[in-house]
Amino acid sequence: MATPESNIGEHTVLGLDNVPLELPIAGAGSRVLAVFLDYMLVGAITVVWVIGVVFLATLVDGLRGGWGIAVGIAGYFVIDWGYFAGMELALGGRTPGKAVLRLRVVSRGGGSPSASALVVRNVFRSVDLLAGLPLIASDPLARRLGDRIAGTLVVHDQRRDGEVTLLRVPAGWGAGEVAVAEALLRRAGDLDGERAQALAGRLLAVIDRTDPGFLAGVDRAADPVAVLRASLTSRPA
Amino acid sequence: MDYARFVEQRRPVWDEFDAALATAREHVRRVGHTELERLGLLYRQVLHDHALAGARFPGTGAARRLSGLALDGTHFLHRERGRGVRGPVHFLLRVFPAAFRRQAHLLAVVVPLFLVAVLTGLVLTAVRPEVAGVFLGPDALAGLEEGRLWTESLTSSVPPAVSGSGIATNNMTVALTGWAGGALAGLGSFYVVLLNGFMLGAVIAVTAHFSLAGELLGFVAAHGPLELTLIIVTAAAGLSVGRALVVAEDRPRRDVLRDAGRDSLLVVLGCLPWFVVLAVVEAVVSPAVSVPTGLKIALGLALEALFLVVATNPFTTGAGHE
Repeated sequence: MATPESNIGEHTVLGLDNVPLELPIAGAGSRVLAVFLDYMLVGAITVVWVIGVVFLATLVDGLRGGWGIAVGIAGYFVIDWGYFAGMELALGGRTPGKAVLRLRVVSRGGGSPSASALVVRNVFRSVDLLAGLPLIASDPLARRLGDRIAGTLVVHDQRRDGEVTLLRVPAGWGAGEVAVAEALLRRAGDLDGERAQALAGRLLAVIDRTDPGFLAGVDRAADPVAVLRASLTSRPA
Repeated sequence: MDYARFVEQRRPVWDEFDAALATAREHVRRVGHTELERLGLLYRQVLHDHALAGARFPGTGAARRLSGLALDGTHFLHRERGRGVRGPVHFLLRVFPAAFRRQAHLLAVVVPLFLVAVLTGLVLTAVRPEVAGVFLGPDALAGLEEGRLWTESLTSSVPPAVSGSGIATNNMTVALTGWAGGALAGLGSFYVVLLNGFMLGAVIAVTAHFSLAGELLGFVAAHGPLELTLIIVTAAAGLSVGRALVVAEDRPRRDVLRDAGRDSLLVVLGCLPWFVVLAVVEAVVSPAVSVPTGLKIALGLALEALFLVVATNPFTTGAGHE
């Protein structure tokens, strides 16, 4: 399976048949935000646990007094040490905080880490609370101590929905022009309407110049973004 | 091949792989051999398309989609192999002893260090009894002067269930932190060993100074030997991580560190259940004045012997890397 090669960059691993895969490594910002969300959840779970134990103690005689407190302490220990490893084991390398930020723990080769790797990386969390952030910030692979010892990485889950691929390409266009047109069509909904129309108009002008017959028969009076989309993403008749 | 034709010809494969992957993820247990074989074939095609798109059409929508598909496929289809633990009994009888044996040589470093710390605490506190106050606090020292051990207030004011739960979680936290601290070039493990050794020496000396050593023995006899053994063993496990960080020999440091981390974790996990047993003993048996000291000593030695038998498991051989 994949092994990192020094001559193809640290973010790249070699997949099947030595096909290079670029790992979208998550940086310090998204990881800190994810862990912040997770600790908020740990706090909420702990509060619910305490309230639950107190409530149970009012119903069950055996839990009144010492045993109730004992169960409370044991449960808190399990939440404190088990939340992160348990969630990552149950959710395929994600905690709820990571899921919100679309992050995932993977092995060094990009595959699913073993259960022991997930446990190891999280037992070192206590040390990483002190030393983790500088380690993440200074490492090209953004690994904290637990990641280094467990052989894991945290990567972004790439969003594939809404991806636009052109089905018609004007003559003379290379990958750069295709990428620009696809990016505009993908993000047109997020842009200011006039700005999107202006950009689409400029691209249509480029098409007119490079491949004059490409837009033949297209109604140019319509919204430039719609014209561009119809002419580039519809199959040729 | 131009971009439009590439997308037109290959997109059905990408769509099929995307759908098959989503289905397999949703029903991972129901993926049959045929589906898996098809998924593998599609994965291989997607990888090749990804390589082509990366080289010929970088930055395009097709290249981005293929990159995402290739990464998702790699994550789903490549699973890192673990140690193959087949349940808690198999772990305790085979995996834990094998890991313990592999790490045992580090006890030759930790045990002498612990004894030196005990001796230092013993001598320093014998000369200056107030040294023990640093760990025990002024109230405990005042109690010793009045002929009372500090353990009396701990065990009389708190129900055994509470103290047992607190002791177990505290000891496990110390063990886990000491082990994880080993990754700081072994400093965390050294700290735990030296601190516990020094405290033990200081406590023995100060109770002897106030002629209460017999009472202390009565309190710690049942749980003390194994508790100290567990702290030493988990610290040695942490030291193996620190050693891997410093001495990688001819292997890549990350590989040595990963192997040491996982191997030593097995030792720590094997020790955790014993902390629970000890907590019960410490909360129920140790403070009980009705249990004779001789019986407590016998229980302490029996627990120690049982742990050593389980940890070394002389009845099985082999590396335990199933």
